Amino acid sequence: MLKRLTMAGALVLGLGAVTAFADPAKVMIPANPGGGWDGAGRHTMAAFAQSKIFTDGASFTNKGGAAGTIGLAEFVRTAKGDDNALLVTGVIMVGGVITNKTPVSLADTTPLLRLTNEYNAIAVPANSPIKTPQDFIAALKADPSALSVGGGSAGGADHVMLALLAKHAGAPVAKINFVSFSGGEILAALGGGKIKAAISGASEFRQFAESGRIRIIAVSGPSRVDGINAPTLKESGIPVEIGNWRGFVGPPGMSEGAKKLWLERFAKLHETPAWKETLKTQGWEDAYLPGDKFNAFLKEEEANWTSALKEVGILK
Amino acid sequence: MTGKRQAEQRDRRSKPWWMGLALAIMGALWLNGARSISSTTNYIGLGPAAIVLAVGLGLTVLGILLILQALRGEFAAVADEAEAPPSHPAFLLALAGVAVPLLTMRWLGFPLTAMLAFALVTHAFGSRRTGLDLVIGFALGSAAWLGFSRLGISLGGFLPLIG
Amino acid sequence: MDILNQLIGGFAVALQPINLFWAFVGCALGTAVGVLPGIGPALTIALLMPVTAQINPASAFIMFAGILYGALYGGSTTSILLNTPGESGSVMTALEGNRMARSGRGAAALATAAIGSFVAGTIGTLALTFLAPAIAELAFVFGPEDYFALMVLSFTSVAVVMGRSLLRGFTALFFGLALGTIGIDTQTGQTRMVFGMLELLDGVSFTVVLVSLFAIGETLYVASRHASAPPAINPLSGGYWMTRQDWARSWKPWLRGSVIGFPIGALPAGGTEIPTFLSYALERRLTPHPEEFGQGAIEGVAGPEAANNAAAAGILVPLLTLGLPSTATAAVLLAAFQNYGLQPGPLLFATNPDLLWGLIASLYIGNLILLVLNLPLVGIWVRLLLIPRQYIYGGIVVFALVGVWGLSTSWIDLALMCGLGLIGYVARVYDFPVAPALIGLILGPQAEIQLRRALAVSQGDWSVLVGTPISASLLAIAALVLTVPPLLAWRRRRAEEAEAQPASAG
Repeated sequence: MLKRLTMAGALVLGLGAVTAFADPAKVMIPANPGGGWDGAGRHTMAAFAQSKIFTDGASFTNKGGAAGTIGLAEFVRTAKGDDNALLVTGVIMVGGVITNKTPVSLADTTPLLRLTNEYNAIAVPANSPIKTPQDFIAALKADPSALSVGGGSAGGADHVMLALLAKHAGAPVAKINFVSFSGGEILAALGGGKIKAAISGASEFRQFAESGRIRIIAVSGPSRVDGINAPTLKESGIPVEIGNWRGFVGPPGMSEGAKKLWLERFAKLHETPAWKETLKTQGWEDAYLPGDKFNAFLKEEEANWTSALKEVGILK
Repeated sequence: MTGKRQAEQRDRRSKPWWMGLALAIMGALWLNGARSISSTTNYIGLGPAAIVLAVGLGLTVLGILLILQALRGEFAAVADEAEAPPSHPAFLLALAGVAVPLLTMRWLGFPLTAMLAFALVTHAFGSRRTGLDLVIGFALGSAAWLGFSRLGISLGGFLPLIG
Repeated sequence: MDILNQLIGGFAVALQPINLFWAFVGCALGTAVGVLPGIGPALTIALLMPVTAQINPASAFIMFAGILYGALYGGSTTSILLNTPGESGSVMTALEGNRMARSGRGAAALATAAIGSFVAGTIGTLALTFLAPAIAELAFVFGPEDYFALMVLSFTSVAVVMGRSLLRGFTALFFGLALGTIGIDTQTGQTRMVFGMLELLDGVSFTVVLVSLFAIGETLYVASRHASAPPAINPLSGGYWMTRQDWARSWKPWLRGSVIGFPIGALPAGGTEIPTFLSYALERRLTPHPEEFGQGAIEGVAGPEAANNAAAAGILVPLLTLGLPSTATAAVLLAAFQNYGLQPGPLLFATNPDLLWGLIASLYIGNLILLVLNLPLVGIWVRLLLIPRQYIYGGIVVFALVGVWGLSTSWIDLALMCGLGLIGYVARVYDFPVAPALIGLILGPQAEIQLRRALAVSQGDWSVLVGTPISASLLAIAALVLTVPPLLAWRRRRAEEAEAQPASAG
């Protein structure tokens, strides 16, 4: 009976499985549901399905925390040699591995490509007295530890951006009060006024800003973002520019054939209108950089971040 | 005579001081581990070692309490223990069934490992129809292997030795 | 009544034959995956995502809703009959449910679980229909210190009510907390307690611990005592159905479970586990039959099952009203919405009322379908126990292997299964409750994150932990839970001694 039970279950699912798809991609999202990486993984796979480039579907695993290094560790361990496994990655993970001195790193994976770039934004609760980037800098200068600022994990782009802002304000970096979140919880905490400000990807804030829960006071890119009524830090006289690129890597031991196949799929995806639409609705910048160029870029980023983290005093 | 032996047995069983000792050792491990976690200054408030320290302390205290209770004879096994003494051969057979995947999973693959585990456990329960048990175990293992592979859940190669 | 009109419109969508068909498919699939270990609703919905390209949004969401609720129904079945919960939400169901099944009352346990799920699912859906915007505000009220207090309350109430003594409960809890510290620290990324094994960097998997402590520990115990244990009881000796008394004892736990489950499920960091823990602890406190707890008390099945389902309705609140997913399942649903170019959130009620109200209406229908689907099956499921015992337990071990090996085909997981299975066995022999260990493992890391966040925001000022009315009252309740029972016991003992004293003296 137990056997019958297993078989019946397997059969029901098996039938569904065979008819609907053949070999789904296994996507590891190294963050909790509702954050930037979560969106990057899920929207990309959705665009694949929409544009009929890869229609076998995808299963997602969310494993958040520690700048994505926990997800990275699990991915390296469990997906070894799996040609259908992908890991969402980005600049935050590069910084996290360096800051935390994680025993596994992106060098253990098979880098595929950089796909998007996004600029950060600073947001505050709707009723906050901080209205402009200058207010923010002033608050930081007055008492950096009294200004609790939420963001992603330690050593990530958000953390470094706060450190750079503190440096600009002339406040000691060791005193900044950076509170780490993973996923969408940061929005509830900010909207409820549990933290005084938050730094995260501009797209993550957008919906809550539109509904009036929070206010975006600045974006960190070279130019303003469509649909977000906030100045850039640069035009406010604060020379801080931080990008947040995201991309995909394969597991250790991914076969050459599979690597090529996925790169071809991404190349095709990059040309489709469905993908352009996704970029637009998500507020992402196209940052397509595949294969060997991405490899070189990763090496460069690691060097850049090591010196940047040292400079702001996060890495010792 | 038998009465005395039973009493002795009960006495031995009612003083499981080793459980408290194991717990206290675990606590010591955690306390020691907390020391080697480097603290960062980037965070105000609690660092990453604090909780490990607290858990280690808790385990150690609970372990000592367990030892004390056990030595005072206040810590007994479940009520039906006295009426149903454990059968050591059966226990070891079942344990072998649980442990056998450690040896065989990598090179015999899931279906054969499931077959062995199934047969060992059924034997622990007194089944002596080895052939039938092996067949059922293999069928169960293969069915699970097939079904779950379909779902994209990898259970390894069917027979890794052959490839 | 604007909401009523819209709901009626929603029923018009959900009751179309094609949508009823998809609801049925979803419920059946959901029940099937709930029974299988290691496969949850999130994975199933994710695998079915490609169908969103083929069928219209209303049908797809109606099917997904069926899967979501169906998985909860299926999950209770293995917990009750085989003492092998497949997911964290059904751990508490196994405690009393399996004892009931062993004494021949499996049918009643399954029935109270199914009806309780139906009642709570319906109440949860009603609350979702009428209270969603108000409940969603809770997300902004709860801060880190409040979450921390909620988790402390879960810890203490469960450690206190479970097992024969406080010492046993807390030992199990701290064992789980210790397992929870293994791996990379989520906030600073420091490696903790991995003993040099890279395989442990991502922590000890909950599934491994769940399967080992419950299924493997149970198998070892029964195997070692099968010769002397009484022969198997006829699984139907307690009757095919719930008795009048069962009904009388079930309905209040159903309602209480729903009331606990829905709001906690609606919190962004609430989840479906905490309500089941709290509901179990509460029922154990309130029951007029405390002696039956641990031996198969029906309240202990009815409450947690109801809480589980109400919480499942609760997780839809932040998703639909704020666009904020709080669980993996909710994240998959969010992705499905976005596949159709829809953004859940405050605007969705205005822009796509048909779809949304169709989805809500289908939750009512799905619940009903599940009840109709599952109640007749109760009699069949119970007959599972008629299989010779050696095959049941052989099958459980193979089942467990699927769950553990299928996670990541890791040898360390198999070794953990073996070691934790032995610990589960020892716990069984010396009457340690295993549920607090699982609770420590699930909630420990979360509690740590919230505590550290709270202290970071307050710049290390510990008084923040009692700084809000919510956190102060939750912690006060936790303190009462911890101190009152031992005090009462002490007073009772003293009273008895005082009575005994003169008698012996005289």
